[in-house]
Formats: sequence, structure tokens, C-alpha cells
Amino acid sequence: MNRVAYYKGCLASLSAKELDISTKALAPKLGLDLVELESVTCCGAGDIHEAEPDYYLHLNARILAFAEATGAETLMTICNVCTLNLRQANWQLRNDDALRARINTNLEAVGVPPYGGKVEVKHLLWLIAEGEGFELLKGVAHKGLKGLKIAPFYGCQILRPSKLLGFEDPDRPSSLERIIEACGGVPIDYPAKIKCCGFPIIQAREEVALAELIQPIEQAMEAGADAMVTPCPLCHLSLDAWQSKLEKATGRTLGMPILHLSQLIGVAAGFSDSELQFKRHVVPVTAVTEKLEV
Amino acid sequence: MLVVGGGCAGMRAAIEASDLGADVAIVSKIHPVRSHSGAAEGGINAALGNSAEDNPEMHAFDTVKGSDYLGDQDAIEVFTAEAPGDIYQLEHWGCFFTRNEEGKLAQRPFGAAGSPRTIFAADITGHVLIQVLYEQVMKRDIPVYDEFFAWRLVEEDGSCVGVVCWDLVHGGLKLLSGKSVVLATGGAGRLFRATTNAYACTGDGMAMALRAGLPLKDMEFMQFHPTTLYPSGILLTEGCRGEGAYLINSENDRFMAKYAPNAMELASRDVVSRSEQTEIDEGRGVNGSIYLDMRHLGAEKILTRLPGSRELAMTYAGTDPIYDPVLVRPGAHYHMGGVETDNVGATELDGLYAAGEVACVSVHGANRLGGNSLMETITFGRRAGRTAAEQALAKGPGVTAPRSALDDAERDLKTVLDRVEGERPWKIRDELGASMLENFGVFRREEQMTAQIGIIDGLRERYEHVVVEDKGDVFNSDLTQALELGYLLDLAGVMMKAGVARKESRGAHARPHDYPQRDDENFLKHSITYLREGDTELSWKDVRMTRWQPEERKY
Amino acid sequence: MKVALKIWRFDPALGEKALRDYEVDAPEEATLLDVLDIVKDRVDGSLAYRKSCRMMICGSCGMRMDGGAVLACKTRMYEIAEAGHVPVISAMGNLPVIKDLVVDLAPFWEKMRAIQPYLRPGYADPGDTEHVITPAEMDVVHKEALCINCGCCTSECNSLEADPEFLGPAALAKGMRFVGDPRDGHTVERLESYSQEHGIWDCTRCYFCQQRCPKGVDPRDAIAKLGAEAMKHGIDRDMGAKHAKWFVTSAKTTGWLRETELVPKTQGIARSIKEIPFAMQLLKKGKVPPPVPPHVAKDVDQARALYDLVKQQGRDGAAGIVQGERALERIEFVEEQERRKK
Repeated sequence: MNRVAYYKGCLASLSAKELDISTKALAPKLGLDLVELESVTCCGAGDIHEAEPDYYLHLNARILAFAEATGAETLMTICNVCTLNLRQANWQLRNDDALRARINTNLEAVGVPPYGGKVEVKHLLWLIAEGEGFELLKGVAHKGLKGLKIAPFYGCQILRPSKLLGFEDPDRPSSLERIIEACGGVPIDYPAKIKCCGFPIIQAREEVALAELIQPIEQAMEAGADAMVTPCPLCHLSLDAWQSKLEKATGRTLGMPILHLSQLIGVAAGFSDSELQFKRHVVPVTAVTEKLEV
Repeated sequence: MLVVGGGCAGMRAAIEASDLGADVAIVSKIHPVRSHSGAAEGGINAALGNSAEDNPEMHAFDTVKGSDYLGDQDAIEVFTAEAPGDIYQLEHWGCFFTRNEEGKLAQRPFGAAGSPRTIFAADITGHVLIQVLYEQVMKRDIPVYDEFFAWRLVEEDGSCVGVVCWDLVHGGLKLLSGKSVVLATGGAGRLFRATTNAYACTGDGMAMALRAGLPLKDMEFMQFHPTTLYPSGILLTEGCRGEGAYLINSENDRFMAKYAPNAMELASRDVVSRSEQTEIDEGRGVNGSIYLDMRHLGAEKILTRLPGSRELAMTYAGTDPIYDPVLVRPGAHYHMGGVETDNVGATELDGLYAAGEVACVSVHGANRLGGNSLMETITFGRRAGRTAAEQALAKGPGVTAPRSALDDAERDLKTVLDRVEGERPWKIRDELGASMLENFGVFRREEQMTAQIGIIDGLRERYEHVVVEDKGDVFNSDLTQALELGYLLDLAGVMMKAGVARKESRGAHARPHDYPQRDDENFLKHSITYLREGDTELSWKDVRMTRWQPEERKY
Repeated sequence: MKVALKIWRFDPALGEKALRDYEVDAPEEATLLDVLDIVKDRVDGSLAYRKSCRMMICGSCGMRMDGGAVLACKTRMYEIAEAGHVPVISAMGNLPVIKDLVVDLAPFWEKMRAIQPYLRPGYADPGDTEHVITPAEMDVVHKEALCINCGCCTSECNSLEADPEFLGPAALAKGMRFVGDPRDGHTVERLESYSQEHGIWDCTRCYFCQQRCPKGVDPRDAIAKLGAEAMKHGIDRDMGAKHAKWFVTSAKTTGWLRETELVPKTQGIARSIKEIPFAMQLLKKGKVPPPVPPHVAKDVDQARALYDLVKQQGRDGAAGIVQGERALERIEFVEEQERRKK
């Protein structure tokens, strides 16, 4: 079993609880022994990075320090934004000795162990898109998706800036497609799969965000997708919870089911309703589940 | 008032003119921020004395000696005296410069400088200058005729009254009028196959002036920069050597010890280029190049002081200078010669002025010091801008250039555009570049130069029959590129004549096989070339000396 | 080597677009720009594109390759040709196309002019010498000073595509260049201006600009620095700023984000009341967690204490982002070092 520190982030704790539940159900089957971090906070998203940059570094250093303290080599995330934030902080701390020293002094002053730079931050997606994780995935997805057409939506901060993330080609990623295929689904290709869902400005600039958000959903529909999958709970919130606003704004009927990555695999693995928690989705996933009953 | 050319000199001239209340517009075939001034890397010289003891007299002497005593000393003295003020002006406008520990402008050592006086911004000095100047242009709302290709100067009653341009974006010839016209169109490195210069550096202003009957001065002096990347010709700044890089031959020797034992890699550029060429010619080169070795500088210094150079080496030579030495060779870089002007930028033609690389004041004589060119663009750009503005403002009512100039130009252009069969320009361009490098490179010989004159005549014949494939109006760069080739051919002709006529070795004009010595008795003079009825008319003019008598030039 | 390309041609006279195939022989060290030159010289002289320096400093040759903006002179063709890939070359996005690969940069320059792109000096008069500025102070804007106005960031900006009036990454990065310059005396005015509608808070944080910039300007980071400076100066009336502030408040009080209160805190009571029908939808699915009792993270007092320490040490505003930037800049170099060790 691969013992990893698990940082679930804010959304998975509350409004996207289904993500945490399905991840925890899936993890052991994928050889992941999750050690959930509790003495942590929000990673700050782009917001604390912008509003209080030094605080952002401290908060993320604290998360990394506690992850390191578990003895695990990997800190697993399940959100694009958490991934970028933690990886950026990790990079700065590892490669700027003076910065790390100052922050560690502060951490120790409040009772947090100092961070030695030994943790690698990885999104669940990366752990199962290749290697041992992928092999286990293939075994787990035995029930399969029965040729369901799934449009992958990567979002932004799992791909860019690629020098901080670097798992795959930011212009032509393929990890989600591989996973969809391994689960017996048919991946749908469309240009907006790497564009922005608009979530960061969906409250402050709703019109602009909706003009962004319509693109992936529209293109996925036109390409004949049955559902979309995303590795980021913020993208999920945009795509799922804001779909009704999109319908109002565009006058179109959409009804596109949006799955979290762990749910997609969970479906292929024959998870129960209590493990998938589809009832927490705003856009019904029944179209998908019905298709699979046959 | 019009300023033709939007680089450092052009923009500085326009800013000065605008501040004096002149109604000035910049005319440029590329957007001003695309000008090749922006590619300058290493720095700009002024005797600020921030790094070590320095003063304008020391700067002037270094420049005079660097020019191999061909520079006009009165111009040089004005230049070095006014340079510090011009630098502070740029800094007050917000120019981004690297600072020293005390927070003052840092100054680094550069070729043939007695004291470190090169002010810089990492290794992108030209870029920051272009940015600050364009910011000041925007601030003053100076109109820019962007992507207007200047083709002909218009003269009326003995004065320059405007310029005929091809409007690249919309098509068609346009006539622009002005009581003063300042040429700031840069150099003509594109004459040579191995050059640091941009595609746009085709000597437009020099050729227009030549065709309008004006004299060009010292055209035989083309500086070959010692460290241009192999094979692209892209510039690696002298600043690398300023920070301590070595030049190494195939036998791993720092060969500059043989040629300039005191200054070593920081000897004057012509000295270094000749040394490199000698090593290469004598078989101690690699791929017709030698190595620039920066490994001993360490990653920290390279990443902080020379990040641009590192990126250029990695992208265009596939070499990371932190780990490996880089192959470099001499490449055509800067034209010391140009349109003859006085110390305030005025030419022989009333109403026409020139500043920057297009001009020959002469500040640089037979060889230019690194960092002096950027300074020249600012100091003489300002001076020419001022002169042009004052004289334009004093002239009373505005002027409208005669319609006939436009009609004539349209007729001539139609001949070119209407042609449906002929040779594509690229072949002529490539042959020109290769032959000029072969026969008029770092080392020159009588037979080769004479042969080159014949080659150029042949190319000019063929040029009469070039065909422009694009017959459209919108963005016809096929046409403008063909016109640029015409400029190059005219300039090549006068350069060769001047080269043959100068029977000595001085500065960048090196004739080690037939005339290896400098001959002050006969040639302490500038060459003056006119184009009269298709032929070069050559004469000589004395160098203006104030303080310094020619001495033996050793580094 | 043989290089094959597809180029989107646009004929302004006919107003027609067409995808054309080309294949030419090029030297191994050829860049995309070199290949275009060969096409123009030997195949079709009417192909239109901009070029000048060919050494990634003039910014003329921005264009799209396979849908993403690049500098043609920076793009080596060897690996692409070897892999047998045929790239699709088209004009940059978000700008009107004049012909083929030439776009109209007037909207780009308009946005640039809108941010007052020149130093506006303060009262300190250095006289006839230079302002004294430490290297650390100058460092705050060293990345923003790298911008060559090529338009690659603008081409791919997702916010700009959705809102054509957005100032855009290039103009905002230039704005930061002056906000962070100690010689500029109009910081507050600038921040007010950039914090308006279509400014800083329009940025969707897609990081496309950062990804595509050929010079390492990192425009998204510049926009974040502007946000940081704006908030440091108390210019935080925009919903975007309020949204960000609530994240900070959440972290130092409950640790986890106080999601439900985020809406009224960002949008104000009036707008939040209008959102109630929408909120009810989400509430039915359990997506609106009750604000009470608050979801408090374990040992949150540490987070509170850290906040106080951070405030004491005062690395506020852009300086907080600039620290450790050299570390980020070095990523490729460090990776190369590791690679060589193996």
C-alpha cells in the first residue's frame, strides 16, 4: 500500500462532500493508504495568494510541514487549485533557503514542526494515470462504463503553469482520456477541455465567467458526450451548480451531468449510492446511471 | 517635422522636438518597439564615475583611440560631455537599469574602456531603452505612422520637404510633408550573410540620402562583432566578456594573450575580431568559429547578469553556457559610416538631418566602442531633434511636398509591380550576402574587393528584373522586401569603392596582406562617397582633431 | 529536413479564410520563422507575417501554432518535423486579422495607453543625478520590465475572450511595472484605476498568459501583485477584493473556508437576496453548508497566530509575492542540474 498524506481542501469538506466520500471509498482499492491531515487550513486559493501573499506561504508551509510529519513522501490533493498552491509554495520553500528559514522560525513559534522540503505534492489524477496506480485502476474498474461517452474537463490549474505542475503536456494532456478508456468509457475530444470554467470570478464577474463556462459544456454536448468528468471540485461547482444560471443566461437546455474523477472510477467499480453521493449534485446524474443499468 | 525611423535615435529626436513645441510625427516601417535598437544587449556608456574614477575626457580619449584616430574629436568631446546628463534624463523618465549595492546606476567594464562606464540592465539594455522612449512617446501622444515604408526623400527648392512612403497596411504610396526630416533608420548589416542585425536593417535612410545626392562618409567601415552565435549570427553581448568570459581556440588557449596582452578579451572589437579570424584562418577554430567560455563565472552570475545571453545560446546554439563553452565567430554588426552630418545632426541638404547608426558625425571613426552606439542614439538623437525642430519652427508656414514627387514614385513603382516574370529577390539577396562576407569581411584584399565590385554590378543588373509575386495592397511585404534589396545593392557599391581606395589598415578596415599598417600621412581622412549617375564619386575629408594626436594603438 | 505546415490564410480583398498545405526543405536548425521565410521566398510570395530581429526581442512574430500563441523565431522545427507532426499555423487570437498571420494590434496598444504606461514621478527630485534605488527595490518589477509587447498573452487570455474590454495581461503587467517602481508617485491613483471594472478583478486566473509568455514576464503573477498592492492600500471595494478578503478572514478564524458567508461577504446583502432562489437550489442538494456551527479546523489557533506573526514581519503587498520568485525562475536550471548529475 502506498501511504500518502491526504489534504482534501475546503470544498471536499463541505459543499463537495461527495468528492471526499467517493475518494475515501476508492483509495484503498487503488493501493492508497490515506492519512488525512487535520491540523490544516484552506490552501488560500488564488485569493489569499493575492490578498496576503506571505500568509499564503505560511499556510501552505504548515500543510506541507504536517504532511512531512506523517512520514509520507507524497501529499495527495484532490483539487486543481490546492495542487497549484501547494506545489508553488513547495517550490519556493525548497529552493530559497532564506525564505524557508524565516518561515520555519515562524512555524515553530506557533507549535508547528519545521518543514524540511521532503514532500512531493501530487493530485490523485497523477497517481492513477500511469504506473502502478494505473494498473490497479484497470483492475478496479471491472464493471466498466459500457461505452459511455465522457468529455474530460481538465480546467486550468492542473496544467498551467506547466513548469510548476509538469505532469503532462499542458496543450495536449491525456491523463483523463486514459482513465476514461481504462474504465470502459469513450473519451470525447473538444477544444475547450483545457480552458477556464470561470470559477474564480463567478461571483465578482458573473457575466464574464458564464461566457467562459458555456464553452466546455456546449462543445461537449455538440460532440455527443453523455457526461463530463473533472479533477477539480471548483470546476465541478461551476459546471454543475451554475448550470441553471447558464441555462437562464443562454436560454438553452443543458442538463449535462458532471462527475468528479473519483466518482467516475467509482461508477466503473460498481460503487453504491452512499459511496457516490450523486444525490448531492444539482444536475441529475440519472441519465448516466440509467444508461449503465442496462 | 518628420522623423523617419522609430528606434532609440528616432524616438529621442521626436521627444526632443515635441518638447520644443514642434508638430512632429514618427514614420517607421515597423512599429517603434520592434526597432533593432531593442536588440542591443550590453550597455550604454557615460562617465558617471559610479564604479571607479572616471570623467568625460577619459571617455573621449578611449573613444578617440578606439576609433583608430579617425573619429572627429570635437564631436567626441561634445558626446562624452553630454552623455552623463542624457543618462540621468533617461533614468528620470523611469528607465530600468541595474543598480549597484549603493543603489546608484551600476557600471560594468566593456571593450577598450579605461574605466568601467557601461551602464546596463542585465543584458537587455537596448530593450529597456526602447521601452522607456516609447513610453515617453505615448505620454506626449506623438503620432506614429506605423508600418509606413519610406522610399524616397522629396526635395524642393534646395530643401528636403518630405518623404514618399508605401503604406504597408493599406497599400499605396503616400506623400508625407515636413519642414524638417530627420533620418534615424539605422544600419545595413543585412548586406552580410553573417550578421547580428534584424531583417529590417537594410540601410534604407543611407540609400535614400545617397539617391538624393547626399554624401555618405566612411562607408568602408563595418564593424564585425566578435561574439555572434554560430551559425545564426545572433549577438552574444560583449557584456559576457565584461563579466569575465574567456575566448578559447581549439587548443584550449586564451589566444587573446597573443594579440592584446593587457586588455585580453576586452580589447577593442576590431582587435578581437581580427584575432579570432586569424585563429580560425590558421586552423585553430571549430566550424569556422571559436569558443566563448563562461563556465567559470558560475551559475549565479550567469543567471543574474547574463540570463538573456544564456537563453539565446540555449535556443539558437543548443548550448547552456553554464556547462559548456559556446561557438561564436565575427559577424557584421554596426556601420560606423553613414550619412555625413555635423555635430548638431544637419546634413548637406537643408531640412534634412540624421542621427544614430544611419549618421556619421563621426563619433566612432574606424571602429566603435561597445556601449557608445546606444549613447550616440540618445545624445545625437536629441541634438538632431532639437536642430530639426528649431529650424522647422523658424521656417514659418508649413510646407506641402509637391504632388509630382508622388506621381514620379508611382510610375517607377508600377514598373516593378507590373512585372510578371523575372527572378525572385531571395537569390540576389543570398548571393549578395555570401559574396560580401567572403570579399569584404574582417580581412580585406585588393583582388577580392575588386572582384566584389564586379559581382555587385552583376547583381544590380539582375535586380532590374526582379519580380514581386504579391500584387495586393494589404501588407505587401513581398514588395517592401524587394525595395530593401535595392537599397542594399546601392550601398554595397559605394562601400566597395571606398574600401578599395583606402590603402591602409585602420580600425575595422583590415588589409593585412596588401596594406598592413595604418598610414596617417595619407589616410588620416574620411572617405566621402556620392552616387552620381550610377557611379561612385569618391573624395576625402580631413579628420577634425582637437586634443589628441594619433599614436600607436595597442591594447 | 522536410518540414510540412498548414497555414490559415486570410485574404482581406475577398474576406475569405482558407487552410493551405505547404512542404519545404529547411536546415535542421530552422525555426518556424525560417520556414515561413522559405515558403514566402520560394513558394508563395503573398504570405504575410511580421518579423524583424529573429532573436526573440522585438516581439514582431507572434502567431498561433496548433491553437497556442508562440514567437515564430523561438520555435525550433527539428523535433516537430522529426515526429512527423504537421502544425497548424494561424494568426493570434483576440485581435482582428489584417491578412494571413498579421493581426491589428491597435486594440492591444489602446489598452496599454489606458493604464498610463509611463513614469509619473513623485515629488522627490534627484536633481542632476540618479534616483537611489536598491537592487532589491528594482527587483520587484524586473519580470514586468521584460515584456516585449508581442501579444502572445493577449492572444490566449480567457477573460479577454469573454470580455473584450478587459485590460488584459500585457497592459496590467505594464501597470505593475509602474506600481512597483519606487520612482512613480501615483501608485494609489493607478491602483484605483486598475481596480475598476475590466481591470485586475476581471482576471480569471487561467494562467494561459503565464504559460504562453515567451519572455517569462509572468503576467498572472503581475496581476496578483497588483491585487496585493491594491489591498495593501485599502483599495478593496471591488467584489473580487472582498471575495479575497473573506478567504483571509476564514483562514484565520475557522481555518476552512466559510463558504456560505462567502456570497454575502463578496456580493453584499442586496445582491445576495437576489441570489436566494439560486441558493435554494443548492441548499436542497446540501451544497450550502450551514454557517453555524462553524466548520473549524483542528489547531486553528496556530493559523491565527501565524497571521499575527506575518503582519508583524510586514512583507506586504507585491513584496510578498516577489520573495522566492528567483526560486521559481530557476526551475528549469535546477532540473537541468539534476538531469546532468544522473
